[in-house]
Parts: sequence; structure tokens; C-alpha cells
Amino acid sequence: MAVRAAFENSNEVGVFATLTNSYALVSVGASENFYSVFEAELQDVIPICHTTIAGTRIIGRLTAGNRKGLLVPTSTTDQELQHLRNSIPDEVKIQRIEERLSALGNVICANDHVALVHPDLERETEEIIADVLGVEVFRQTIADNVLTGSYMALSNQGGIVHPKTSIQDQDELSSLLQVPLVAGSVNRGSPVVGAGMVVNDWMAVTGLDTTATELSVVESVFKLGEGMGPSAINTTNKDTMVESFY
Amino acid sequence: MKTTWKDIAPVPTSQEFLDIVLSRTQRRLPTQIRAGFQISRIRAFYIRKVKYTSETFGEKLGAILEGFPRLADIHPFHKDLLNTLYDADHFRIALGQLNTAKGLIETVARDYVRLLKYGQSLYQCKQLKRAALGRMATICKRLKDPLVYLEQVRQHLGRLPSIDPNTRTLLICGYPNVGKSSFLKNVSRADVDVQPYAFTTKSLFVGHFDYKMLRFQAIDTPGILDHPLEEMNTIEMQSITAIAHLRSAIMYFMDLSEQCGYSVQAQMALFESIKPLFANKLVFIVINKIDVTRPEDLDAETQEQLQNLAKSGNIEILQLSCATAEGLMNVRNAVCDRLLAERNAQKLKAGTNASGEVTGRLGDVLRRIHVAQPMGGVVREAFIPEGVKGRVKYDKEDPNRRKLMRDIEEENGGAGVFNINLRDNYLLENDEWKNDRIPEVLDGKNVYDYIDPDIEAKLAALEEEEARLEAEGHYEEEEDLEDAEEEDIRFRAELIREKRQLIRNENKMRKSLKNRAVIPRSKKAVQLEKLEAGLEKAGYDTTALAARARSVSRPSRSRGRTPGEGEGEDAMDVDQTPAARLSRSLSVARARSASTNRRDDGVTDVAARSKADRMAKLGQKKMNRMARQGEADRHQTASLPKWLVAGKRTMGTTRSR
Repeated sequence: MAVRAAFENSNEVGVFATLTNSYALVSVGASENFYSVFEAELQDVIPICHTTIAGTRIIGRLTAGNRKGLLVPTSTTDQELQHLRNSIPDEVKIQRIEERLSALGNVICANDHVALVHPDLERETEEIIADVLGVEVFRQTIADNVLTGSYMALSNQGGIVHPKTSIQDQDELSSLLQVPLVAGSVNRGSPVVGAGMVVNDWMAVTGLDTTATELSVVESVFKLGEGMGPSAINTTNKDTMVESFY
Repeated sequence: MKTTWKDIAPVPTSQEFLDIVLSRTQRRLPTQIRAGFQISRIRAFYIRKVKYTSETFGEKLGAILEGFPRLADIHPFHKDLLNTLYDADHFRIALGQLNTAKGLIETVARDYVRLLKYGQSLYQCKQLKRAALGRMATICKRLKDPLVYLEQVRQHLGRLPSIDPNTRTLLICGYPNVGKSSFLKNVSRADVDVQPYAFTTKSLFVGHFDYKMLRFQAIDTPGILDHPLEEMNTIEMQSITAIAHLRSAIMYFMDLSEQCGYSVQAQMALFESIKPLFANKLVFIVINKIDVTRPEDLDAETQEQLQNLAKSGNIEILQLSCATAEGLMNVRNAVCDRLLAERNAQKLKAGTNASGEVTGRLGDVLRRIHVAQPMGGVVREAFIPEGVKGRVKYDKEDPNRRKLMRDIEEENGGAGVFNINLRDNYLLENDEWKNDRIPEVLDGKNVYDYIDPDIEAKLAALEEEEARLEAEGHYEEEEDLEDAEEEDIRFRAELIREKRQLIRNENKMRKSLKNRAVIPRSKKAVQLEKLEAGLEKAGYDTTALAARARSVSRPSRSRGRTPGEGEGEDAMDVDQTPAARLSRSLSVARARSASTNRRDDGVTDVAARSKADRMAKLGQKKMNRMARQGEADRHQTASLPKWLVAGKRTMGTTRSR
């Protein structure tokens, strides 16, 4: 299921939230509207945690995680770390990383099996990612952008990459990740798909400006709708895609 | 491209227009003027009035001209629609009149400004201004009709539906009363008036609907009667304009039951006669009111004709009933699908070059449609909790919906008042611990650094391991990892660095002063050969120069008069011959003599000094009295100053000034 939401009039959902298969982090906002969008779908399924990281609300860009672990930057305060530890199930490992590229959400893109990371990440960080998230780590770029976390949204069932990614790159990345990939946009043409949406294996939240066509791409490639597979994009919906993008 | 003109500013009537302009002139310019002012000031005052008024006229008329669409710049569909509704010639003439008036007003202003420059008095200037403004007002009054017309056009234009000529469009046309409007009403949310009489729809109506995640526009046109184009009225011409210009799927509605009042034959004849307009467009014949009459109910001959009509142009026949909604959605979907396929085919054709390669933006789009499927066959298992399957979808309207934080917030005073408790959702062994307070700092130490009870033991273990690794030389090995090649590179790099430093030092040495004075180039000794060579190269004759330089540097043997050593004179001789003295004074440049204070020249003591001062003062006395600049000042001023004696003496006397 894909839903649209806005955090205080901002479409960049992926900036203010982190969503995984075993927990969700939501930024503390002025009202509970954004939180409740997640709550409506996830209440009693996985814990949703209100938090700040280093006192800021851009938690989606500062943290990276999957079902097995959560990575937070070194700027996270002790209190925030304790709060996260108390709110998230004990099976999930939480690790604070000393890394120069402290916006971990921008430089790490992970599902439960594989992580694509910024090529300049330190070797120690790479090892920590592999240990905490329990994934294989690959240093990659997406359409020549080093910020893998910003330009890619990934789940165990599929992924969306920057709209200008070449077909060859898509195929390579897809073979690396072993999930179907499609080049797409969210929020009415925004190329920062990683920052514009959050996704896990059964739910996606995108910005309020996302068009119906973009949402259908999201639902198809992440297999969120009933009976909708990624192949729908270039078969049944092909006409619509050409018509709305060209 | 612009499709609506809702933002044209209202056009005032000529009287209002005049009031606006004149009151603006009155408000924005100074109003005080007196006959006693200088004539240039009076002229400037009135010239400014005239100029400002004409500028305001020009500005306002320009704004009106700018606001209306130029027929040449808009889509042909809108152009023809405007032509049908408002008569393009009339429209153009009205705008033209405004433009002419603008020019005329400028001319009037120019003429009167020229006259005002020669105005002799306030009264004359004022009359000239009145005349100028009066003529401008007359010109403006003549614009009465065009202004009224343009205001009407503006009001109508603002109410036209926004029709995008390039988007996905279904165009509904046919005889009056065949059910065109009811179809639009059924497929879209457009609130079209449906009445059981002909020509209910008198203008174009637009409805929008979504199909396959795309927005379609359906345009309901007024009914057309079967007669030549020249005889068609404005209402029918709007339909024709839409059919002719819009890139759309055309749905020709037919009513076989003849309830509309036109025979099936007549409807088929109309189709034939407007067929030329359907060129290069998707056309469908839609049989409406099948709840009353289906094609099968017709007699064989009419059926045959209908089939032939469809066959001749490869036209699909669709059936529906707006009354019972039978086939309604099928028809809509069939038309939309065909339209999409058609548009896609056209786009693909336009985006591929002669050799069949996709180029430009289409390439980008196709890249986005591509789905990269993984090769290798590893299954990435999804992890979906049991609770998600079979979960009821959240519905905001459902009274039994899940209670969310938003609802709790509403109950507690809304956003800004309600404060969430972040600890509510803690997953702790005992719920009572949730709100326990933990000190942040205890005994001057950060509590969180010791939150792990075994922290000391763990640290000790780590340190021990570290020491062990170091002792084993675990870290040293890393250093030896550099292979021979890298070592070689480093060695060479070191050599290069050393060499560069040497070169740098050498240059520094060469350039440094080394405790010498800085001598300007012009003062440095120059070798004669060098000087000669340089000058010769530059094209100067150097013989004179060489001779002079030699004569100075070396004593000439030829000149007998030159005093020299060993010519019988004693070097110790004090008294020189006059010739020797003269030669010496010529050869040696005279040094500056010691300066003396001329006031003290010839004054022997203090008494003489004071006497000399007194004498000097006395000598200046007369000079001071006559206001002389110095003793050489011989200026004789006129005995009677001119400003006192000269002047116009028409009124009053010299004394009165």
C-alpha cells in the first residue's frame, strides 16, 4: 500500500522518517498528522518511534537502518540513543558510528540483504554496516551520484533509482541487488527518490505532490498493491507512462 | 500556452477612463502656481501637466492593449473560437482604434508642449494646457464604443471554459438533442444542463475525468444542423471550430430512435457532410438511447447504410444508453484506449529518427519505463509480519476506525496544546519503569557512559587484546605491506622533492641582495659598447656620443691648452693663473652656495635689527592703507562702481535700488 503524506508542508517524506520492516522512526513535529499516517498503517504491527537525532528533525537523512539494525551518526546524543534503545525491539542492534559523512541516510541505502554505500565511506564504517545491518556492502554510485541513499529507494521486493539512470546501470544494479529496479521519480518529478519517500516490504509513504502515475510505479515495483508486479510498468501501464511523462 | 484569459483587467468606459486619467494628473502633480512666478517656471508647470496626462493615457491604453490576447499568438482553436464568438475583425478594429488614439494623444501632447514653450504669461500657458487636455479628452470620448465592446469581450472571455487543445480530449458532437450533454454528465462531474429540447447547450462545455491514472477532458459541443458552413450560426460554429482544431477523439452521437426529431438518414447525411473535418482524427459513431432502439431494430436498408458509413472510414460503432447507463463505461474506455494508443504511436514516431533509434526526451521516458529484472535467481525474501495480512484498510470515515495519535491530539486541545509523552511506547520489561527518571550526570560523570554494567570489564578486555596484538606485532605487519613498486615510487618522489628544493634555494640565492644596496638601473654604469650596440640597433647615430664619452673619460692628447701634470706648474701653487681659474670653474659644476637670511644682511646688532624692522613697517604703511597687494600693485579702481550707476531706469529712480 502506498500513501501520500506531507511533513509540515514538505514533500520530502524520506527526510523526516525512516521506515524498515521491524520499526519506524518519525520526526517530532508540531502536530501528530504525519505520525498518524504511519500509525494508521503500522499500529500494532511494528513500533513507531518519535525521535530527534542530534536535536534535529531530519532523522531520515541522518539515520540508516533495516530490519536487523539501525545506524545513527556520532552527533546523536546519549539521551536520544537511550530513547531509541527503549523504543525499538531488542533484536534490532543500534550502533552510533563515527563517520565523517554523518548524514548516513544519504550515503547508505540498504534492504535486509544488501547495502549500497557512498564510495568514500571509511573502511571501518563499511565493516560496521555489514555487522550491524547484517548485509553485504557494495560501494556504488547511482547515475553518477555518490549519494546512494538519496537517489535510491530500496526494499526487499524492488527499488526505484534516479530517473536519469541508464538502462545498463539499472540492469547492473538490479543484478547486484537481486531485486527488480525501475528509474522513477516521486513528488511530481523530483529525482531524489530516496529522500522523497520511505518504503518497506508492505508499505510506502511518498510526498503529497506525487502524481497518480508515479504512485502506480511505486506500487508496482515494490509489489505493494494486490496482483501488481513490476512488470505492469512496461506492459499494462506503458501507455499511461508514455502519455504522462512525454 | 495560455488557455484561459481570466486575468484581463476590467476595461473602463470612456467617461470613467477620462476621470481616471484626469484625476490622476490632478493628484500626482503640483497644483499651486502664481502669476508672479518666473515665466520659465510657469511654462515648466504646464508642460509637465500636459506631458503627464498624455503619458497616463498612453500607459492605460497600453495596458488594455497588452491585456487582450493577440490573435496571432494563440492556438488556432482559440483564434477561431474568438473569431466565432466576437468576430475577429471587430475585435482587431477595436484594439486598433485604441492604438490609434494612443498615437493621437501623443501627437497632441507634443504639439502643445511645443506651443507652451513660447507661452508669454500664466494665462496663456493655462489656456494652452486646457486646450491640450480638452483635445485628449475628445479623442478619448471617441473610444466609447470600442471600450464598451472590449469590456463585453473581456467578461465573456473570462467565462470561457479552459480548453487545452493539446491534451487527451474526447469531443462529443452530433445533431441537437441526441444525448451529448447527458453523456458528458454521466462520465464526468461537469454540471451540464440537460433538457429535452434542442439547443440546450449553446456553448462549449468541458468535463474532466480520470482513466488509467490520466486526466481526460471531454468537450460537449452544441448540436449541429446539416446545412452549409456559411449558414451556420455562432452556436453551431463553435462546434465546428472545436471539431476542426482540437487533437481529439471525435464521438459522433446518433439517436436511432429518432426521438430527437431528426431521422436516421438525416443524421447519417450530417456525418457525411462534416466528414472532411475528421481528417487525421479518431472517429467513433456512438449510438445513443439503445434502451429504446438498437441498430438491430432498424430495417435492413438503414442498417446496411449505417454499416457502410462505418466501413468507409474505418470507424468503430459503439453503443450506449445514457438513461440506463448501459455500455456507458465501455464506450468511454474503448474511446480512451484507442486515443491513448493513437497518441502513443504518434509520439513514438516523432521521437524516433530515420534509422529507428529513439532520441531525445523519448529516450529518457523509455529509460523510465524499463524494468530491470535481476539475473541470477537469488530470491530476496520479503519480511512481512503476520499482522499486516488481512489488516483492514484504515478509513477516515469509518466510525470503528483505529484510534490514532491525531485523534488523541484533537481530544486534548489540538496541535500546539497537546504534548505527546515520548515514553509511552517504550518496550521495557516492566511498564512501571517507563516514566522513571535517569540522572544524566552523577558524581560528575556522564551516566550514559556507564549504562552498561560490564563496561569496565569490557574496556579492560579490549585494552588487553590491544596490548596483546601490539606485542605480537599485528600492527607492524601492515607497514610491510607496501610492495616494491610503491617503495620505488616513494624513493623517486623523494628525489624529485629534493631536486626541486635545491633549485628553489639556488634561485633564492641569486635573487637575494646579499647586503648590497639597491641601485636604480638608471644610475648603474653602462659599458659604452653595450650602449652603442643598443642605440645602433634602435637606429641612432652613435659617433657623436662615442666621441663625447671618450673625451670625458680620457684626456685628449691633441689639445695643447689642457692643463696637465708635468707642464711646469707646481701642484702646490696657491695662486692660479686666470686661465687655470677659468678652466676650473667651467669644468666643476657650481655647488649650491650656503643660503643666508637676507633679512639679516648688513645688520650688525640687535639695535640695528629693530631699527630696520621699524623702517620696513613704515615703508608698508601707505601700501596697506591703499589696500595694495604689494609695492608693485598699481591697480586703479573706478571711482563710481558700475552696479550703482547702471541699470534699467523705466520705473523708479536709481536711488530706489
